Amino acid sequence: MELLVSILALGSTYALLAAGIVIIYKASRVINFAHGELAIVGAYVFHSAGFLTGTTLTALSLFTAIVVAATASALFGVVIYFALMRRLLGRPTFVAAMVTIGLAIILKAAIVVIWNSRSVGIPIGRQALYNFAGGGRISWIDVISVLTCAAAFAALAIFFQLTRLGRQFRGAAENPLLAAQRQVNINLILAIAWSVAVFSAALAGVLFGSRSMLSPQSTIIGLSGLTAALVGGLDSLRGAAIGGLLVAAATYLTARLISPTLAETVPFLILLIVMSWRPWGLFGTVEEINRV
Amino acid sequence: MSEAASAAPLLNVRQLEVVYHDVATAIQGVSIEVAPGSIVAMIGSNGAGKTTTLRAVSGFLPAEDVAVTDGEILFAGQSLRGLLPHQISRRGVVLVPEREKLFHTLTVRENLDFSVTSRRYAIRNSVFDYFPRLAERQKQVAGYLSGGEKQMLAIGMALVCEPKLLLIDELSLGLAPIVTNEILEILRTINQSLGLTMLIVEQNVAAALRIASFGYVLENGRVVFKGEADRLLSHQDMREFYLGDGRTGSYRNIRQYTRKRRWWG
Amino acid sequence: MLPEPYQRAVIAIVVAVVLCLPVFSGDYFLHLMNLSLIAVIGAIGINLLTGYCGQLSLGQASFMAIGAFSTAILAQRYGMPFFVAIPASCCAGAAVGFLVGLPALRFRGIYLAITTLAMHYAIIYVLTNYQAIVGPSASAGITVPPPSIEGFKLTSERGWYYALLIAAAAVLMFSLNLARSYIGRAWVAIRDRDIAAETAGVNVPRYKLLAFTISAALAALAGSLGAYFTTVVTVEEYTLELAIIYLAMIIVGGMGSVVGSVFGAVFITLLPFAVQRAFDALPWHFGTGIFGVQEAAIGAAIIGFLLLEPDGLIEIYRRIATYFERWPFRYREIKPSGAR
Repeated sequence: MELLVSILALGSTYALLAAGIVIIYKASRVINFAHGELAIVGAYVFHSAGFLTGTTLTALSLFTAIVVAATASALFGVVIYFALMRRLLGRPTFVAAMVTIGLAIILKAAIVVIWNSRSVGIPIGRQALYNFAGGGRISWIDVISVLTCAAAFAALAIFFQLTRLGRQFRGAAENPLLAAQRQVNINLILAIAWSVAVFSAALAGVLFGSRSMLSPQSTIIGLSGLTAALVGGLDSLRGAAIGGLLVAAATYLTARLISPTLAETVPFLILLIVMSWRPWGLFGTVEEINRV
Repeated sequence: MSEAASAAPLLNVRQLEVVYHDVATAIQGVSIEVAPGSIVAMIGSNGAGKTTTLRAVSGFLPAEDVAVTDGEILFAGQSLRGLLPHQISRRGVVLVPEREKLFHTLTVRENLDFSVTSRRYAIRNSVFDYFPRLAERQKQVAGYLSGGEKQMLAIGMALVCEPKLLLIDELSLGLAPIVTNEILEILRTINQSLGLTMLIVEQNVAAALRIASFGYVLENGRVVFKGEADRLLSHQDMREFYLGDGRTGSYRNIRQYTRKRRWWG
Repeated sequence: MLPEPYQRAVIAIVVAVVLCLPVFSGDYFLHLMNLSLIAVIGAIGINLLTGYCGQLSLGQASFMAIGAFSTAILAQRYGMPFFVAIPASCCAGAAVGFLVGLPALRFRGIYLAITTLAMHYAIIYVLTNYQAIVGPSASAGITVPPPSIEGFKLTSERGWYYALLIAAAAVLMFSLNLARSYIGRAWVAIRDRDIAAETAGVNVPRYKLLAFTISAALAALAGSLGAYFTTVVTVEEYTLELAIIYLAMIIVGGMGSVVGSVFGAVFITLLPFAVQRAFDALPWHFGTGIFGVQEAAIGAAIIGFLLLEPDGLIEIYRRIATYFERWPFRYREIKPSGAR
């Protein structure tokens, strides 16, 4: 039972990361290689905002941290779009992907420069909710992670299926020129996509930082998120959720049953398997494979 | 003078020149006037530049490394050059493209609701009146519609945008003649009931000239002839080259067929 | 090859400067130049694969690791001389490149990059385990004796400089000729539109595999030379970041240009040191943060060049060269034969 909860908690982090990658890919066919870095930077910002006034997290500082991190990440997404991605419209998508790689490098370096590579943790929800007989336990944070992730996915699903903006988003993702002709401002759509993606990345980062220590090396979770997105299908939100759970399950089970060091390579192994067997993932549209 | 020039034209394209990738001139010196409330047809064979003209007017070209290098595009007196597609569309110039004219992954209803605002529900509902077949298939994913239904949906989507000028590119492509005629008749109805100005590009000359009041003939990127629809229909060159006026005589005559077009005849 | 007399003059000056460089510079600068020369070989390798053939590959670091480890094993465990170890390492790299290229044939663009990424991690995993078994401790790595002939050991910076210069020049000539040959044109055709290339008669799978093989061989050569130069081989230095740094080199230098690879390799290799010098001049003290700034500089270089000068430094060079060629005229006359 504890195994299940741990997998769910880890899986919800990966699923959120994957969701952010899927949103950007759906909107602009760009794979965001900086997603892990965005998540960890968001978590560091949250930490700094929370501990600005003291050494313990009070309700007020927690609230401040949430507000600061949320607005900062949403704004940063918009800034990334207008400063970088917008100028790359019309160029081949791998150019944009390389720019995200450059962004990833800068963000990781920023952690080193601004926070001096300090390892930090986000101490929320560490109290045990339930203790098992064998010594394992479920913490509040595990439950919070799962619930937050579920809420986020529900909100995204409602947005895309039921709102007018979500409909326009889906149409613009399929055919940007036609959407522009039908009076949709593509810049608005893409800016919203980036804003939501960076926000969800920061959210995932904060949840991750509540369960593990943060350091510049933590940005490797971006790879797990990317793997989860690929497993589920790069343009499928449903796939992002399932993919996140699958990758988390594989990683966790490997760590527990075989060896922890092998568990680090699990995302890459999954990548290899997915690429050879079913490159467009479980729920992705099949023709994606031929697009550059 | 022709009737088309008496009122101020809604769309006034003057001496338009479009160049592809800095090397290939697609159209040159093209001047088109569309009178308000009329249906104007642009006719020509493949590669004549008709689609390029429409795309230049609706602002699609810069996306593909194609530039408008000369000329003016005036809509209701204001220039459209340099505007982004969604800005042009908001001014009332709506294009139904040749390919990729609807969102295949959305349902019929979602396609029509794409541009709908609180004011536009009336128009959206009227689309179902004009195209009853769409009303039957509201929940169907648009990618699975037949060719004719897709074209109807595309036109319907454009109507929801409250256009003042509707540009339709090659509506008859891939459609059976009977469906083409059905849609063209519906377009004529829309034009008469809403007073909506239309500029249609067509390869099927006979069908186009049935509903159009004025026509421009393009060849190799230039306007070679223009006139009222009846004049076009009765013109010698039009009949031979575009309307399939069968020449009497045996096939042996065809080999020596060298008559050049005399547009001034 | 070089029709204009001024071009021959420029080349002569460049060659003279390059050859006489050790006379004017100290060991520190020569060390930097040596690192750059090794990078040049690797950069040309990745440029042939990604710049010319259009196969976006993130596996550069793993190919270099193969070369380095092969050299380390052959030189240290089996005592092979360098003129056996280096070619053997290149062959090992070529073989691995071929194997990586096989699954990569199915994909294009981002999916190709991800496939190569997965292969990179697979290779590194194997080498990590090997290093843990073989080395004195898991992260100490394998030491490599300096290359020697008849007892003469290559250890001085100046000696290395000339040796690497010869190697880099050979690779440069080889690649320039390759780029101008049918193979190079086939690669460019594949990059631009591989379906059209296939229709035109280019055997696309064969040339893609050839690109992977040659590129990996050159990367292995760079890794092998690096192993001899630094005398220690550890798997930890062959990270994904290294592969991205090589991509940065060709982005900055110019994708699809062998000479551009040279510019890019030197630029990116010297960039961290330039940043350090620049920040030493500033009053603030950065401490270990300087590493972050150096990293950020590479990221900024990638973004800057992609946004502003996507064709790289070579394009800037070409613009200047054509300006002076044409001056005082504004455009060139077209000669009847079509030659420039």
